This record gives sequence, C-alpha cells and structure tokens, in this order.
Amino acid sequence: MAQNIIEIANLVKRYEMGNEEVFALRDVTLRLGKNEYVAIMGPSGSGKSTLMNMLGCLDTPTSGTYMFNGENVSEMNDNDLASIRNREIGFVFQTFNLLPRASALQNVELPLVYAGLNSQQRGLRAIEALTKVGLADRMDHRPNELSGGQRQRVAIARALVTAPSIILADEPTGNLDTKTGQDIMQLFGDIWRGGNTVILVTHEEEVARHAHRIIRLRDGLIESDELNTNATAV
Amino acid sequence: MNIFESIFIALDAVRVQKLRSALTLLSVGIGVFAIIASTSIMGTLQQAVNGQLADLGENSLLIQRTPTIQFGTNWSKMRRRKNITYDQAKQFRERMTTTKLITISNTSPGYTIKAGQESTNPTVSLIGIDDLYFTINVTSISDGRPIVESEVLLSQNVAIIGQDIVNTVFAGVSSVGRTITIRNQEFTVVGVLEAKGGVIGESQDNRVLIPITVFNKYYTSPWDASVDISVKAESKFQLESTQDEAIGIMRSLRGVKPWDENNFELDRNDALTGQFSGFSTALLAVAWISGLGALFAAGIGIMNMMLVSVRERTREIGVRKALGARKAWIVRQFLIESITLCQLGGLTGMVGGVTSSWALTAVMRSIAMPNLVFVMPWGTVIFSITICTVIGLVFGLYPAWRAANLDPIEALRYE
Repeated sequence: MAQNIIEIANLVKRYEMGNEEVFALRDVTLRLGKNEYVAIMGPSGSGKSTLMNMLGCLDTPTSGTYMFNGENVSEMNDNDLASIRNREIGFVFQTFNLLPRASALQNVELPLVYAGLNSQQRGLRAIEALTKVGLADRMDHRPNELSGGQRQRVAIARALVTAPSIILADEPTGNLDTKTGQDIMQLFGDIWRGGNTVILVTHEEEVARHAHRIIRLRDGLIESDELNTNATAV
Repeated sequence: MNIFESIFIALDAVRVQKLRSALTLLSVGIGVFAIIASTSIMGTLQQAVNGQLADLGENSLLIQRTPTIQFGTNWSKMRRRKNITYDQAKQFRERMTTTKLITISNTSPGYTIKAGQESTNPTVSLIGIDDLYFTINVTSISDGRPIVESEVLLSQNVAIIGQDIVNTVFAGVSSVGRTITIRNQEFTVVGVLEAKGGVIGESQDNRVLIPITVFNKYYTSPWDASVDISVKAESKFQLESTQDEAIGIMRSLRGVKPWDENNFELDRNDALTGQFSGFSTALLAVAWISGLGALFAAGIGIMNMMLVSVRERTREIGVRKALGARKAWIVRQFLIESITLCQLGGLTGMVGGVTSSWALTAVMRSIAMPNLVFVMPWGTVIFSITICTVIGLVFGLYPAWRAANLDPIEALRYE
C-alpha cells in the first residue's frame, strides 16, 4: 500500500437519544490507501452510514482521530468541512440527488462553482467529466429528461469533476435495474483503473464483490476487513 | 452565474407557486404603490403651488378662473366657470384705483425649446407676461433686461429664459441676443431669469417668459385661455381695501348677480400655500404609514414564503452542502432570492404608482388645473428600490440562516 489517504484511529460516535446513549461507532481503526477499491458492508444499524458520513466529512466524531491527507478532520468547523468535501470527496448517492431545474452540465459544474472557478474553466472541466461518463451528447438535458442510469452517470461526472482524492458512493445501484446497475459498476471499475480511489457503501454482496477489499461492520465495530482476491472489477 | 442562478430560482418559485407568490408580491406592490403614488401626486401639486404662488410677492393677490390646487371642491362647478379673458383682465386693470400694480399672465406647460441642433425635453413651462411682471413678482433677471411695454403692445417675439434652458440649449453660456424656437416661432432672447434651483423634477428654472400678446396669438387653447391677474397692494395696510375693490370689479366685469358667489378665485399667497402644505403633510403621512405597514406585512409574507421554500428544498440544500457550499454561499443564495421576490412586487407597485399618478395628473389637468405638470418621483423610486432590498434582506435573513445551518446529513435524508 503506497500512501494512506485516510487514517482513522479509535473513532467513536455517540448520539444522545433522550436519556439513552447510542453508540453508532464504538471503536473503529482503519487505513485506506491511494487507488484502493473498497466496499463497506453491514446490515442496517451496523454503523455503516455513520462511518460513511465520517469518511465523507459530513460529520465529526465524538472521539478518536480522522486524518485525511494529513489534515485533522476531527477538529474542523463547518466551513473547513465544506471546503475539504469540495476539494477531496466526490459523492455519489443512491437517489442521484441532482438539482432538478439545472441541466446536466450545470449540475456537474456546481462543485466547481463552490471551488471558485470562473465559468469558462467550469464549462471545460464539466464537459470533460461528462465525456468521461459517456454523456457528452446529453449535457443540455435536465434530469427529468434522462434515464435513471444516465442520471447516475451525471452524478458520477459531478463527483469526478473536482478530481477528488476519493469517490464515495452510497448504494449507487440501489435505484437502478440490474442491467443498468451492472453498467454503472463497470463505470466505477473504469474510474478505479484511471487511478482513482473508490469507496462503495452497500449491503449488496453483488455490488461489493466488485471491490478489492471488503470491510464488514457490525454493532459499531469492524467485524472483518479482507482482500477480495477474485474481484470482478478487473 | 450564481447571482443569476439565484434570481432564476426565485422567479421559478414564483411560477410554481402562483397564488401564494401573487398574494405576497401584491402586498409589496400595494406598499410601494401607496408610497409612490402619494408622493408623486403631492410632488406634482406642490410644483404647481410653487410655480404660481411662490413668485407672488408680499401684499399680493392672485386672481384666477379656478384655484391652483383643488381639493374638496366641486370640479364640475369649476369647469363651468367662464375664462378670464385678456380683454377682461385689461378692463380690470383700467378700473382699479387703489393700486396700479397689476400684471396679467398665463401659463402653459409642456413645451420644447430649440436652438440650433439643441432642444429641451417637452417639459418647459411657457408663461405669457406683461411689462409689470417683474415689478410684482419676486422673480428677477440675472442677465439682459425685462420685457418692455412696447414689446407687449406690438406682440414682438422676445423671450426671457430660465437657467435650465440656458444650460440645455446654450451649454450654459450667455444667451442674450440669440435665437430660440418654440413651435416654429423664432424668439430673440433678451434676458435670463435668476436661477432658483429646486429638487429634481421640480425646477423653477425650466420656464420661458414671452409677451402675453404673443402667447395669446400662438400658444393658447380653449382650456388654458384663461389668464391670471396678480395685484399688488401699495402697502400692507391697503391690502384689505385693494382686495375688496378687486372682488367688486371682477364681479361686475363677469356679471355676477349680488346673490351669487364669485365665479373666479382670489387668493393670497400666504393663505393658500399654508393650507396646501397642511393638507399635503397629512396625506403624505397617512400614505407613507399605510405603505410602510403594507411593506412590513409583505416582509412577513416573504419570510413565510422563504421558510416554505427552505423546507421544500431541504434535500437540495443538503446536496449543495455535501458538494462543498459554505454557509455564506447558502445564505447569499436565499437572500438574493428573497430580494428578487421583493423587487418583483416593488416593481409592480412602482409601475402602478407612477402610471396612476401620471393618469390622475392628466385627468386633473384636463378638468380643472391646466397648470399641472406631472413630476416623476425619482427620489421615491430610488427609495422604493432601496426599501424592497432592505425588506428582502431583513425578512430573508432568518430563512437563509435556517437553510445555512441545516445539518447536511439530515438534509440529505429528508424526504
């Protein structure tokens, strides 16, 4: 493993539910390297979503440390978190989460708007990203004029456009039919082969078997962390 | 892109929620309408008062067919009054004994003055005067000379012009001896009026004085052929007796029966301006208070609309935050939206206010007040744009703050 992008040590996340304390994550230690293809699995209530929110810098831990490319995320404020999300993380959601009133191109440009790029640079990079996912000819369409698979491709282009350190995909095929899901997983394989780091969060074995490393969570702890030697993504 | 995007989103919200938006924007519109319309109408009336009465010196009376400003009067009765003709006014002057300081004039608004390639806007007031005009009125001449008796008797095309006209058509340089054109008639400039200044749109310097005989020849129409007579008493102590004599002579000249009331208007400067300013202050106060009240209510409406918008777009806000939008970005976006909404309503009210006061001015002019000139209330327009921005900001702030502080995880999960 060449270089660690993510280093998590003794991560704990505790919620207060009335008078009760609920531990979503009890004690998680984890390292993720550059150009890894990882699946995070677990049943509901396992802490899988909480870990994903932590990895995505959407939330900070109760205790423990989270280093992202040498930066201490666990002590960041909201604006620093927004900034690191913008620079380092490309999100792909189960429900695509595209802005309905904006064209595919405008959707892909959005993270670059927050990065402060001018419109010419944004346009060039967004077109490049849409070309990568095979949607160059659909960039003026709005989400409601695109199929589910095409929408997810737009979302993937949006995740790629800032050239982030990790692509974080939450059940990316959950809202797609089998065939389209396979196409999307094919695309993730291509993205990984292009040198990106991909993290899938899923409960489907079918999806997880594309990854090279599978981390299973249960009750807020890592149950297993093993390499997937017969990954189908190759 | 972002400011336009936000404006576009705001307009989109209006389109999607037509009724709710219409009601909210209506209240902004009403507020702005009340403020603009009242200020504009008062400005127009004020200008008429200033134009006609402010010039009138001390111990002076003004005799007109109808009062300059009418409120609570019977307009149809006013309209039936016969004109005070130039001949009638001259007979009046002959018969007056207590004073000989009498000047006859007439005013007509809306002329364009040309000189060479230059021309003014069609807003210049043309005033026909005689040689005593400058003796009785407080207006004076800064350059050149007044109009003399022979020029009045012989109807010669000479003119005295206001400073605004010097600035517009002669680039501000001395213009005595030069020629101006008013509706195809050429005039030699013999004098320039002393600048009086005034706020935008209410300038007292935007006028041209010509002999009344020339005025009567070319520039009268049936509805403004009635002349005004200014009478100056020889002293303060003779004002009452001069007034009594003037009323008596006018009644006899106009054939008023002893039991009928006067069919002309006689006013003293001080009385009328005082009366008008009391009336206008009261009306403006009512209009502004109700306008600002409506705007406050509108602000609450805007806030409600924005809160609904924030709730409906919770997930979108979550996505934006996940993609790296800082709080300030979200706040900015929602503030631009609420300001856009306010401006949309404000614009409606502004157009309505200006249009209706313009129309009302036109109606009043044609019925009974020929000297009214519409005054565009620029100051108030700017004020309205400003206040709409302020309301959008103030009432948009809480919804914007709510949006910016949404937890991205919760927001992304929101159905």
